[in-house]
Amino acid sequence: MKTIIEKLKNPRFQFILFGIVLAAIPNLANVGLLKTSHITIIGGTLIYAIAALGLNILLGFSGLITLGTAGFMGLATYISAYVTINMKLPFEVALLLAVLIPTLIGILVGLVSLKMEGMYLAIATLCVSEILKKTFEELDMFTNGFSGKQAGFPVLFGSLQLDRTTTYYLIVFVLVLIMLITYNMINGQLGRALNAMRGSEAAAQAMGINLLKYRLVAFALATIFASIAGVLYVHFIRFSYPTTWNLKLSLDFLAMIIIGGLRSIFGTVLGAFIVFAVPDLFLKQIPFLNQISYVFNGVLIILVVMFYPNGVIYIGHDIKGWKEKFKKRGQKNE
Amino acid sequence: MGIFLQVLLRSLETGSIYALAALGIIIVYRTSNTVNFAQGAIGMFNAYVVTFFFSKFGFPLWVAIITGVISAMIMGLLIDILIIRHTKKVSAVAKQIVTLGLMMVLLGVVPLLFGVDPMRLPKLIENGDIKLLGASISYNGSFNIVFGLAIMASLFYILQKTKWGLAVRTTASNEYTAKLMGVPTKTVTMGAWAVAGVLGVLAGTMVAPMTSVTLNLMDGIQIDALIACVLGGFQTFYGPVLGAYIIGISRNLLLYYVSSIWGEQILYILILVFLVFRPHGLIGKKIVKKV
Repeated sequence: MKTIIEKLKNPRFQFILFGIVLAAIPNLANVGLLKTSHITIIGGTLIYAIAALGLNILLGFSGLITLGTAGFMGLATYISAYVTINMKLPFEVALLLAVLIPTLIGILVGLVSLKMEGMYLAIATLCVSEILKKTFEELDMFTNGFSGKQAGFPVLFGSLQLDRTTTYYLIVFVLVLIMLITYNMINGQLGRALNAMRGSEAAAQAMGINLLKYRLVAFALATIFASIAGVLYVHFIRFSYPTTWNLKLSLDFLAMIIIGGLRSIFGTVLGAFIVFAVPDLFLKQIPFLNQISYVFNGVLIILVVMFYPNGVIYIGHDIKGWKEKFKKRGQKNE
Repeated sequence: MGIFLQVLLRSLETGSIYALAALGIIIVYRTSNTVNFAQGAIGMFNAYVVTFFFSKFGFPLWVAIITGVISAMIMGLLIDILIIRHTKKVSAVAKQIVTLGLMMVLLGVVPLLFGVDPMRLPKLIENGDIKLLGASISYNGSFNIVFGLAIMASLFYILQKTKWGLAVRTTASNEYTAKLMGVPTKTVTMGAWAVAGVLGVLAGTMVAPMTSVTLNLMDGIQIDALIACVLGGFQTFYGPVLGAYIIGISRNLLLYYVSSIWGEQILYILILVFLVFRPHGLIGKKIVKKV
């Protein structure tokens, strides 16, 4: 019994458990508790969570802001769609190319990032994202312009054709994998180095930390995660429009991290649910609220930042604190 | 020569729209240390107010614009009093997320209040052209250029020469010290949001006749205004204005003379390259960090 509880406290085990819970959701739809459209919403949210995890490494640990996430994710969707549909190559090749090309650009941005900081870097990455978005609109032969690029559900290993539900399982699998990788990364040398850099770059440098190397690694990881999310997006939603990959989406990613909790892996996923799933899953069900679900979500974001600037994930911690306070007060009265 | 002048005049018109929006962003940034991503949405909302008063209630256009300005002012005040004032302890990034929330609220409210159909807003001066060395520009266009410059000139005069301007500049340079010196920083920040709202609605009313009034009326302007802030540097009030005119002019020149498809991308790439060599913008200085 004791060993089970100890195992439950191990975050790696929690991630896997979380994955199993998520994987059970399509069964709820089979029973009739959920609509199949909800699977699409939850799957989409998980995809956004994957991209946000990369951004969390960048923003939470190294303190660098980027507004280019949407652009990189969009680039990956188009590459993957083009490689599988137009070039008729297997899904695995598409995945590889769609991760490799944006990552190279991401590393280039990382090189530039050494000279810029704060908002300057954020808006410079916004510039990159806008260049990509304009290119999606104009490069018709590659992206199909405003009418959007179509793709199919992924075919694994050349023969295994997935459908909506099995693609959803694939997303859950990738998410858990990325949660585990992120956890290992940030608790290893990389995380410690990034933490030191965030505190003081000069001090970190004096400790012998190679700023360039770790910044590049952080940027590369953020872009890789965003690209993977992009590939999953285009093969799950099966459409990619240039207008999707705008500034608002990049800001949404930031919102997910801030609301959920900086430097928290579960927080990021929670933030993704608050930003993307709450309006579609819950608010639209309530008759009056379905009109104003996005207003409500905006208000929710504002309120969370105002009252929970550290993120919703720490709410449990705070409740514990209140409980103890309450207990102490009770003891005094006795 | 005529065509060049024509392109230049057009760019000055769009440049002044960008400049008004950028000035709104920088005033808020300097006083409340927040990059206001909702600047475009605030302008869009109030452009809807103007259009609504003009087309539904049949007000004359200038009365409708004044209504829009007043509503923008009230909106700015409310945003500061209700939200921004209570986020003093919040980190800078989180504050920007607040403006994202604001943007979502505005984007959600507009269809409820004004309907989903795109609306049209006419020009302030319907027709008539000025001919100048083979180039022609409409009265409305030249009015926009002059009006934009006049607004900016008066704002800069207020900033540099009056007591209120001094209060704003003190708050911008160090809010804590300003407070100790007896500057009413709360009022300054509130005023800054109101002014930013007004600048937003002016930019919105200027751009509205060129397209139609829709939810994404200000999207492009918002992005260009942000890039103008970086190009000019966040440290001065006039840097972003300069950046906005540079973007306006070079965009149109690139679109006309180089490539109508790739002009914008080339512009952004040039800006990025420029930023690599001057990471703090045209005017900005490097902030030396003490260890």
